[in-house]
Amino acid sequence: MTINTMAKGGWHRDQMSCFRKMEKVIVAMQDPDMGMKMRNQRLLITVIPHAMTGRDIIDWLMKKYNICEEESLHISGLLVRYGYIYPLKEPRSLVLRPDESPYRFQTPYFWTSTRWPASELDYAIYLAKKNIRKQGELMEYEKERYSVLHKRINHTWDFVVMQAREQLRASKQRRKADRIVLECQEQAYWLINRPPPGARNVLDMGLERPNNTARVTLNSEHYKNEIDTCKRALGRNRVKSSICLEGFVKYSEQYQNHDPIMQGCLPSNPWISDDSAHWTMNLETVPTPTRLRVERWSFSFMELLNDEMGRREFMTYLEKEFSGENLGFWQACEDIKHGESSRIVEKVEEIYRNFLAPGAPRWVNIDSKTMDKTLSGIRHPHRFVMEDAQMHIYFLIKKDSYPRYLKSDLYKNMLAKGIVPQETKKSVFPFMRRQRHSSPSPAQVATQATEEGGNAKGAGQAGTNSAAGSNV
Amino acid sequence: MPLINNKVGDDGTVGKDKALVDGKALVDSLIKVVACYRVLATCVGGCTDSLQLRDELRQTREKAQRLAMAIRSHLTSHLRDKSLPEEQRKEMEILWVGFSSSLELLHVDMCKVFNMGDIFSLSKKETRVQNGLQGGGSEVAARALSVPDLNQPQSTSLPAEFESHERSTMEKDISQLDHMIDDMEMKVNVLRWMVDPHGPQYPDPLSSTDSASLLSVDEEQPGHQPLHQRRKLFVLLLLVAVVLVVATLSICIVFFS
Repeated sequence: MTINTMAKGGWHRDQMSCFRKMEKVIVAMQDPDMGMKMRNQRLLITVIPHAMTGRDIIDWLMKKYNICEEESLHISGLLVRYGYIYPLKEPRSLVLRPDESPYRFQTPYFWTSTRWPASELDYAIYLAKKNIRKQGELMEYEKERYSVLHKRINHTWDFVVMQAREQLRASKQRRKADRIVLECQEQAYWLINRPPPGARNVLDMGLERPNNTARVTLNSEHYKNEIDTCKRALGRNRVKSSICLEGFVKYSEQYQNHDPIMQGCLPSNPWISDDSAHWTMNLETVPTPTRLRVERWSFSFMELLNDEMGRREFMTYLEKEFSGENLGFWQACEDIKHGESSRIVEKVEEIYRNFLAPGAPRWVNIDSKTMDKTLSGIRHPHRFVMEDAQMHIYFLIKKDSYPRYLKSDLYKNMLAKGIVPQETKKSVFPFMRRQRHSSPSPAQVATQATEEGGNAKGAGQAGTNSAAGSNV
Repeated sequence: MPLINNKVGDDGTVGKDKALVDGKALVDSLIKVVACYRVLATCVGGCTDSLQLRDELRQTREKAQRLAMAIRSHLTSHLRDKSLPEEQRKEMEILWVGFSSSLELLHVDMCKVFNMGDIFSLSKKETRVQNGLQGGGSEVAARALSVPDLNQPQSTSLPAEFESHERSTMEKDISQLDHMIDDMEMKVNVLRWMVDPHGPQYPDPLSSTDSASLLSVDEEQPGHQPLHQRRKLFVLLLLVAVVLVVATLSICIVFFS
């Protein structure tokens, strides 16, 4: 074994699926009735069958797969680039010319394969063969590679030379036409698998290059690590897909009315109508929020907290209940987590003074264990020193104050006050700038078809209609 | 070694030399068989693929495996022999490296042929790739099996039977080869990077015995060589003609002036 090509622990290679697909196309081309039309290649004395022109290939692909010429050109270009078809006139230029230039199929043995990639030993044998045949006249880059290989697999060089000689002698047994074909095939194979410098390497997959040079020593340490990884993987929490899919469906149902693509935007989608009313109505500091926005606050606590206006409203409510310090504490902790590093110490001090110290003006109620942990952490403040306390307070508010807020009058008033904007009417004036064409999203058309008017948002329905109807 | 030494040397070294010579002969013929197998394997799936080709492949493969078994037992027994003198050991190690490289090539070729047998089944004749080959591989197989002519009667078994039988045998053989390779690594510890080969870097084409016949194989750019010579001849003729014309003109000038 030269360079560990048959390592037992090695990763099992598979044929890349794009190659399997190309192989299927090639096999389809061989059909005696519906396949490619073959011509003969005429060299000076010899006639070699099974040649085809570029034009033939393109026409056949167009006919068989019902595609346009551009796509056919692209696919046939790929077939040539990956070595399933090779050009006969200019072997080093792996492009498909849509004219009379001749091509031939590559024999299956030399098909590009990620399962049995070309090895250094093979390449060395090929170069040795070429060297013998051409009496030393290799191309520059081939000579370089030959010497590099000679150094790298020097121990098996006798074998390389002998094998090269034997292969030449074996192929000598064949008739001349076959010999020519075999040489062209092999040359095409190596042009793909070891491309000349500057040519694109089609087998190079860039950053995803499968790099299995990690020689894993199979000792007890390795197996211990394996066992640990497996244990951890087994211990992970798993959710049945039926349950998490249910959750997914519920989420989608809940948010459907709020999704501009699914339900349309009120008053109108600014990207289409160039009217930015929708955005102005949903700003942070608008006096009256839209009803949809207020509704969203009831979906989850994070929604409420993420919306500035929601947070402010919630704070007002909490002040009334004399538990505003909780939210204040939470906000301050968030500020530390996302704020500047230089001010962390100062902020932590402030929090301690205001919220945690005994007798502080806005003292928060944290259980003793978390309090002790936080206080000891404050001596060495960092960004996440308040994490546990913040979590505690967060869940406290969420379980306690948040549901009460949603039932409170404050929230209900907000909801009632919420604006439901009217959708913009189509302009009557013929000379006004027409709306940009918008094709209705398939989701909208589907919802229109299935909805039976039981939708709570009547305006939403009207919005859909208008969006669909404004399709110019 | 000059003949006189043979008579005074003890039997031990003579025996070991013979072992070396035997081993070399075996490895050489394995290399030859592996080369022939590869040349035959390039035809699989092509338009010349037939029951006969697969049969030839099978025979070549079986021969290769027999040789491999023989070499393995031969080399393992000698390399594990602690009393082997140093130069002999070095030679054996070179043979060992050659042997394992041949096995590597054989393994890959067998896997490829097995895989292609899947895609290009003998029963489905329409799916052959038209790769431009015309002739069969009988002469190559004959060379592999070291018989002057592969004169065998047409196999009477049906393609389907042959194929299924062949596939199961091949699977077994591939795994057997795998095991053999593993086994070898376990039993004999050859430090490959310490092995020093004999030959020069660039195999001198003129030093090989049948270099002339090898050179005649060069037909890569078909018609390229005769064209080259033709061009040289043409240029030469042109020069001669020009010289003649100049000469006649000068004579005319001298004559008529």
